[in-house]
Amino acid sequence: MRVRWGSFIPHLILSAFSLAILLPLVWIVRVSLTDKLTAYKIPPEIGHVGIENYIEIFSAYPFERWFLNSLFVALASTAISLPLATAMAYAFARFNTGGIFLRLGVLASQMLPPIILVLPLFTLFFTTGLMQTHLGLILAHLTISLPFLAWMLVSFFEGDSASLEEAARIDGATRWQAFILIAVPVAAPGILAAGLLGFILSWNEFLFALVLSGADTQTLPVGLASMETHAGVEIAPLAAATVLSLLPVFVLLPFLRKYLIKGLSLGALK
Amino acid sequence: MAGIDLKNVTKIYGNAVVAVDDVSLEIKDGEFMIFLGPSGCGKSTTLRMIGGLESISKGDLLIDGRRMNDVDPAQRDIAIVFQNYALYPHMTVAGNLGFGLKLRGVDRGEIDRRIRAISEMLDIGPLLERKPAQLSGGQRQRVALGRALVREPKAFLLDEPLSNLDAKLRAAMRTELIKLHQKVGTTIIHVTHDQIEAMTMGQRICIMKDGRIVQVGAPLDVYRNPVNTFVAGFLASPPMNLVPGRLDGQIGLDAVTGLAALPIPEALRPGYASHAEKSVTVGLRPEDFHLLPLAGRSAPVSVTAVAIELLGPEVILVAELGGTGGPEIQARMPRDFLARPGETLTLHYDLTQIHLFDPATGNVLVRPRIA
Repeated sequence: MRVRWGSFIPHLILSAFSLAILLPLVWIVRVSLTDKLTAYKIPPEIGHVGIENYIEIFSAYPFERWFLNSLFVALASTAISLPLATAMAYAFARFNTGGIFLRLGVLASQMLPPIILVLPLFTLFFTTGLMQTHLGLILAHLTISLPFLAWMLVSFFEGDSASLEEAARIDGATRWQAFILIAVPVAAPGILAAGLLGFILSWNEFLFALVLSGADTQTLPVGLASMETHAGVEIAPLAAATVLSLLPVFVLLPFLRKYLIKGLSLGALK
Repeated sequence: MAGIDLKNVTKIYGNAVVAVDDVSLEIKDGEFMIFLGPSGCGKSTTLRMIGGLESISKGDLLIDGRRMNDVDPAQRDIAIVFQNYALYPHMTVAGNLGFGLKLRGVDRGEIDRRIRAISEMLDIGPLLERKPAQLSGGQRQRVALGRALVREPKAFLLDEPLSNLDAKLRAAMRTELIKLHQKVGTTIIHVTHDQIEAMTMGQRICIMKDGRIVQVGAPLDVYRNPVNTFVAGFLASPPMNLVPGRLDGQIGLDAVTGLAALPIPEALRPGYASHAEKSVTVGLRPEDFHLLPLAGRSAPVSVTAVAIELLGPEVILVAELGGTGGPEIQARMPRDFLARPGETLTLHYDLTQIHLFDPATGNVLVRPRIA
């Protein structure tokens, strides 16, 4: 059989990329199922396989608290930022609110290194009593996700959606009804995708959580980092905790892919 | 049902671009009015101002005698069928049809009854549960029309709704719309740049150019009595031939174009007398060239054939008027007509159908109207 180089070479390159992404994950899963000694052996050994590490992270570390804190902060910050970002993006797209300067200003806030925001936030939260609270961390995460999501959503309200709203206004809808009943449902795939990205953004956030959270409000990334103790890195439980912390993202991934494809709005206009 | 009255309506974008310039027009209750013009002539902007989607910079808009300038589009009770249909993609066909009624608080049973009636009328009954993405172009067009009809509005504004359809479907929908107007009798304003639609569908045509109204009148009246070279060259296909010429002779008053001379009929002479010995633009309709003389009202003109276009029902002859080197004209010939390029032919022009225009302004030289 003739080898079809045309499709073979791209597959080879893509396989290499996939391996580069997958191997660390496979490695972490392997380490999470073994003990510290086996984990470090080169060449790698299978050795003892068990779920002791998964048990240990719940008994020796407050893993469930980290997890719940992360879940709460990520859900809450997304729930607050998504409607605000949607309204903001709509205002940018439909009314050109603030002109190009406000749009660029929002983008510019994304270009600041987060560390620049941490100190003022620390002082602010310290004086207002928001330090080490969930609310403080949620507000801090809003400073990241709100501009990002708003910027991302602007394009979903530009183009088609404007003429659909005009049709709705002629049909008897007020501006608000046209926004809620037409613009938002039509942009729903984009809004959902933005929401999922906002969730992941908050879920993975480390710097703000490190500085602004306390023992009771620590999130997963901070918790995982704390497993690196003066006695060395607890590599095996750390791997187990990492595997569990990846789960929500894996659960969300299929939805993200589905909604990023803007299939829903096809066929509205000619 | 409503009459629509535009009084010195102007639309200025920013502070410089005048899209619609001092337009005054009275559209009668139940009239089928056509806005015709090239792209960018302001016809769609005028339509959008009537619908309330564009603000009016100057002037007044009256619907049923009531000033509507500042009334929200939702309160005007007017329906627009958009060029791109603008069907709500997340709703079914039934949802699209019922949306406006639901907003107006019409009760469920009545909504269902009206949707059924409209879908029967437009033959979209089997499509009610589909989403717009699952419809063909023609079906979407009918749903968009149905969405306008189901509300029983005071007037329909159609913004080039046929322009996305293929030729066959377009012809069918043209007839459908005419029948529809006869049936419901509601005021319709139909915006188009297609002069076949304009000629066949409307009771009156309003021809626009550069934001201004150029001529308003019944289709045949506008066709027979164009007010300037723009209208003459825009309406009908192929359009009127416009050739440079001169009004010659004190008594005979011939319109001379190059080598060809066309004697002006007795009845038209008084109107043109003041223009004698001046240059004019001579307008000759392609369909007024004939192969045989017409009793008492035609004059022979010699032409040199350049090319022929076989259209099936007819043949378009492209020829040089007055012989080789003359201005190029198009003439509509019977379907079995044949001519070789370079061949010299004698055609007979219907002299009652001569139009003369001032070459400087493009305006028609006033003459007795031909009914």
